[in-house]
Amino acid sequence: MSAVAEEEARVSTEPILRVRGIVRDFGGVMAVAGADFDLNEGAITGLIGPNGAGKSTLVNIIAGAIRPRSGSITFRGADVTAQPPHLIAHRGIVRTFQMSSEFGKLTVLENLLVAVPGQEGESFWGAMRGRRFWEKEEAALVSQARVLLERFSMTAKEEEYAGNLSGGQRRLVEIMRGLMAKPKLLLLDEPLAGVNPSLAQEILGYLGALRDEGLTMLMVEHDLNAVERICDPVIVMAQGKVLAQGTFAQLRKQQEVLDAYFIG
Amino acid sequence: MQFVGPAIGFGLVTASILALAAVGFTMQFGVTNILNLAYGEVMAASGFAALIAVGKGLSIWEAMAVAAVFGAVLSFVLNRAVYVPFIRRGTRLFGMVIVTVAVGLIIENTILATAGPNFFSYSLAQESSYSVGPLILTTSQIVIMGIAVACMAAIHGVLRYTKLGMAMRATATDTTLARSCGIRTERIVDAAWLISGAMCGIAGVTLFINTTSFTASTANSFLVVIVAAAILGGVGQPYGAMLGALVIGLTSEIAAAFIDPSYKNVVAFVILVVVLLLRPQGILADITSQREVVA
Amino acid sequence: MSTAMQFYVSTLLVYTGVWLLGAWGLNLQFGTAGLLSFAFIVFQAVGAYTAAVLALGPQTDNGGFQHYIGGYDLPFPLPLLGAIVVGAAFAIPIGLVALRRLRSDYQAVALLVISIIATNVATNEPRLFNGATGIALVPKPLASWLGVDLITYQWIYVGLVVVVCLLAYFVVHRITHSPLGRAMRAMRDNEYAAASLAKNVIVLRILAFMIGGALGAASGAILVLFIGTWAPSSWFYPETFVFLAAIIIGGTNNSLGIFVGVLLVPIGFAESTRFLPSIGHPGLIDALQWIAIGFLFLIFLWFRPQGILPERKHRYSSEGKLLTVMQLVSRRLPIRSKVKGQAT
Repeated sequence: MSAVAEEEARVSTEPILRVRGIVRDFGGVMAVAGADFDLNEGAITGLIGPNGAGKSTLVNIIAGAIRPRSGSITFRGADVTAQPPHLIAHRGIVRTFQMSSEFGKLTVLENLLVAVPGQEGESFWGAMRGRRFWEKEEAALVSQARVLLERFSMTAKEEEYAGNLSGGQRRLVEIMRGLMAKPKLLLLDEPLAGVNPSLAQEILGYLGALRDEGLTMLMVEHDLNAVERICDPVIVMAQGKVLAQGTFAQLRKQQEVLDAYFIG
Repeated sequence: MQFVGPAIGFGLVTASILALAAVGFTMQFGVTNILNLAYGEVMAASGFAALIAVGKGLSIWEAMAVAAVFGAVLSFVLNRAVYVPFIRRGTRLFGMVIVTVAVGLIIENTILATAGPNFFSYSLAQESSYSVGPLILTTSQIVIMGIAVACMAAIHGVLRYTKLGMAMRATATDTTLARSCGIRTERIVDAAWLISGAMCGIAGVTLFINTTSFTASTANSFLVVIVAAAILGGVGQPYGAMLGALVIGLTSEIAAAFIDPSYKNVVAFVILVVVLLLRPQGILADITSQREVVA
Repeated sequence: MSTAMQFYVSTLLVYTGVWLLGAWGLNLQFGTAGLLSFAFIVFQAVGAYTAAVLALGPQTDNGGFQHYIGGYDLPFPLPLLGAIVVGAAFAIPIGLVALRRLRSDYQAVALLVISIIATNVATNEPRLFNGATGIALVPKPLASWLGVDLITYQWIYVGLVVVVCLLAYFVVHRITHSPLGRAMRAMRDNEYAAASLAKNVIVLRILAFMIGGALGAASGAILVLFIGTWAPSSWFYPETFVFLAAIIIGGTNNSLGIFVGVLLVPIGFAESTRFLPSIGHPGLIDALQWIAIGFLFLIFLWFRPQGILPERKHRYSSEGKLLTVMQLVSRRLPIRSKVKGQAT
């Protein structure tokens, strides 16, 4: 096989993310008690489980916001355990937040622009060289952002301060922002929480389309209908551990999973 | 070595005054979550209220009671008139700091404008000193320590044995949860300001007694030491504040005896910065408290 | 214009420049990057002391009545440049203290305490900068070399201040209206989110402190080279709040607004009371000014937290270019609009 074909084969068969033995406690309370799983490329993997199962903690650990006590995380073959958030983001792991974390005093367009990594105008000397230096790159990014805004029907809100938007609109900004960051893996932390049903369906549509274009995602969600609609495979967590993995249909039949939701 | 004895004596007196102030400060901070940088100025205002009382012929101890009432009322009014409205409209934490600094500037400069930049004194009669072991203390100093101990005991009693105390502890730990348990948190907040204001007033008077002469800004320079003691002991933890007061009171006086008297406060400041850098939740930090210290 | 009037106006212009430089510096730290720089006045002090000890001769000069470190008798512009470098360098320890992930009000207190420690050390350690008395007889830059009369020198100095302010404006403008400024504002609005979008918040923070600090130091240097003296009483911690007042009242993140704020608060207060007779006891007028500043803070934080001239919204043309103020005006677009429920 040629080197390129070999690389492509490796990439498509090896999981893009490997999580091994992650443990994290908070003052004696075990939040994650040894989590192991793999994420496959080009899939939307669901992460479900009752409250307190450790799902959000796990997402925070993968994103570098919290350090695990032990365990390892490998992304595309590289060890990313306990790295700071901005380095993890550099590698292409981008996350959204459970609570809206838009940049309130930036416009919607600026929210999208700021998400792009490695801009020329973001270094000190880049900025000092003035707009002639960075305005070409900026114009290209503005076009990209406007395409996204169009796709998510938010063109009219381009110049609105993100803090003035409704909850659902902010949720969309969060997702668009994540996309502008050129992610290789997108971590979605309860993207549909507090979103009205019709908007939720729209968002699921967008996410499905993105998956079809090849984006890998991990989605923590409580809305099991949503999970059923677009997630495959699905991981179930309870009490800090991975309880089961499989398609939604398989899991729904497993006794431990049903028990976890009642007891856990 | 013979100056260690008096240094310890001074340290205990300073610790007593500091304890009164720090416990008041930390109780209010614990319940309301507002870092009140106007606290020093309220101490000063109360101390000056006592000065007026002394001028009208009251004894210093009666004047101290006046100061306690004055401090309580002033703190209560400031909270209701200024802080609560700002919080209601969503002012963030550091915005509130600016608000309290502004209030403090107004109070201190009002005192300065009315009383003038002079040095004032309660003009207490000359007292004899007593030797208590290696320590040498005047009557006032012994009384101040007594008052501090009495107030600590009273606070302990209230917190542990009264419904109000339990409600305050609950509100300090988790305000939302307390509210959903039926605790009228606005009333608790009012009570916290009243009690802390009273302690503030008493602390102001004891401070001014101990420094013999004072100006409008004496108490404000003391504020950082108070914050240091409160944060060292763990914010919202009255027992921690007592511990912090003891530690800082003693170390700063002993350090001053050995190094340089003018660096006395710097010791407290450095302790504060070190604590903030290394262990901002303080010594007696409570895991269950909602007091989020790390961003 | 009479000589006395010229003297007055030129002095006023120099002071305006000094306040403006400092306010722009603090705004970069506080308004753009969201750093609670309550120790800002220390930057101005660092700049002033550095410029002073670089410009002064050795401490044995003038009868040796002052004690200070340094004393290298350097000609202009070295004291100013030295001050700027030291001011920027000073940002690093300050930035490290502020780096600790503390909640915002604790951070504010930590920096406030640093400011107090600094004045304490400067006051109690006379060998550094002559203690509480401070340093005096700092030579005016190029005064002997130019050899002009007093009034002409004043106006030359005004020209110098204008040049420095223009340079500062250039730097501030380039930073704030660039992707770098945008990244800093994102960090201000939500640091965690910014970090998770690959923004190196540590570098951004240090950068903001350094440039803001450099401006503060320049402000101090310009002032001390003009008035020739500097003492701890010039930079007690409340002075940071005068700069803060100018920013909050004039308009955070609006360079022109900050200019207005500077004219209103420090300049306005000082000048409006200058011609009053000395009523009451000494310090009464000062105290009244501080009371007024306190009330202004509360009033503006309540009614108009964005200030008189609020931050300009960044809009883009259909080709994707950032629109300047001129272009916004010509297209009759609103230059700014409010953020809902905005409070500090």
